Amino acid sequence: MSSTIDISTLGMIAAYALLLIPLAMLLWQGVSIVSRVGIAVVRMTVQLLFVGLYLQFVFNLDNAWLNCAWLLIMILVADVSILRHCRLRVRCFGQPLFVALVMGTAIPVLYFTMLILHRPHILEARYLIPIGGMILGNCLRADIIGIRHFYDTIKRDHRTFELTLAQGAQLHEAIRPYLREAFHNAVSPTIATMMTIGLVSLPGMMTGVILGGQPPVTAIKYQVAIMIAVFTGTAIAVPCAILMSLKRGFSPSGPLRRDVFAD
Amino acid sequence: MTDAILQISDLVVQLGGKHILDSFSLEVGTGEQVLVTAPSGTGKSTLLRCVLGFLSPQSGTIALQGKPIDELSIWSLRLRMSYVAQEPVLGDGSVSEVLARPFDYRANRDLRQNLDRVPGLLTQLRLSQDIADQQMDSLSGGEKQRIALIAALLLDRPLLLLDEISASLDKDSREAVFTTLAALPEQSILAVGHHADALPKADRIEPLPLGGVVSGRNE
Repeated sequence: MSSTIDISTLGMIAAYALLLIPLAMLLWQGVSIVSRVGIAVVRMTVQLLFVGLYLQFVFNLDNAWLNCAWLLIMILVADVSILRHCRLRVRCFGQPLFVALVMGTAIPVLYFTMLILHRPHILEARYLIPIGGMILGNCLRADIIGIRHFYDTIKRDHRTFELTLAQGAQLHEAIRPYLREAFHNAVSPTIATMMTIGLVSLPGMMTGVILGGQPPVTAIKYQVAIMIAVFTGTAIAVPCAILMSLKRGFSPSGPLRRDVFAD
Repeated sequence: MTDAILQISDLVVQLGGKHILDSFSLEVGTGEQVLVTAPSGTGKSTLLRCVLGFLSPQSGTIALQGKPIDELSIWSLRLRMSYVAQEPVLGDGSVSEVLARPFDYRANRDLRQNLDRVPGLLTQLRLSQDIADQQMDSLSGGEKQRIALIAALLLDRPLLLLDEISASLDKDSREAVFTTLAALPEQSILAVGHHADALPKADRIEPLPLGGVVSGRNE
């Protein structure tokens, strides 16, 4: 198979020109988000341009420490983003969530490069960063669902939760049904994706590998492996994040601390 | 009082800058049934939340069977008390599931045989035996209140904390509840309510004073 065809400048102009169709549809229907679309397209271009330039630099250098540092920065950004979406205070949960995200990303990505791809250098930029990024992105989505569900449900059901404590439950016993439900909700989208993958849409990684010039069978193998790695990452990150946050989320005598919520 | 099960001394609680309890003191003797009365919003539920360790007072002490309640001791001291909330929210599931749930906790596993007392307690509290199969969300407020009382009694704790227990009960149900409680001479009770009829067979009824001191038996 041939390698990926580069997109010429004219081709990129044609790509942006395709935006005229959705913009025309929005104007026709009077949906007043045209300026937001413009900002989003500009942001996307600038952000990807910077990331592309940086990644080119990182790939060329291919230094293990720099690769790890890049992944850690991505995890830090995800950490803050998750807590903002969950409306929880970063100063309370930032550190335990960061550790959980490192575990949820590092374990599957290292397993992937070592035991699935058998790479001689497990911290090779070409594999570590894109695969780590895909796993982290899914951990982010799952953590937002799981952590938010866990704390919001206990906040809503605080009387039931406190009655459970009053009945003699230890903290780990009192949180168990909430943790179970949060975990279930967090991994459900990944399971649903696995159920419909290939039927509803061609997944991004598979498309990328095919565009990269590899046969579809290779693309399928990559996709299966990455889906299992993503599922593993979310299954590690969500319960670890919740369990590691308990000490800061609950008072020593058991009730949920109200000052952990940002609003 | 030497046989006090609960000793509350100089309790001060402020919430949102407002004095809820101000130097409040109270002793409940072993086997004594005490009712603390006060109008709404004057700290009755707050008092029980402090005893349960859900709220830390600004100052003052609470001791259960001579052991001071603090953030660490509360975990073992909660095993000496049970609690019925004003509007009990016992969780999802059927009545039998809700009553059995506390016995899944490690601290209560040895008490699981107490579930054998459920049919008798249902009868005593004028509830149908069929209610055990009903879902909690299908029950009336009064039924939930009595199920919550059964859940508390099954745990066999020395101190029972009752928050406005008769608020949603009709006359017959109230009579059944108070007769059941009066038939437990060993059971220490600290109840809170608006009026004396919140626990008519109480050994002692004390108003909740702002900054006052309540102690000793009125016998």
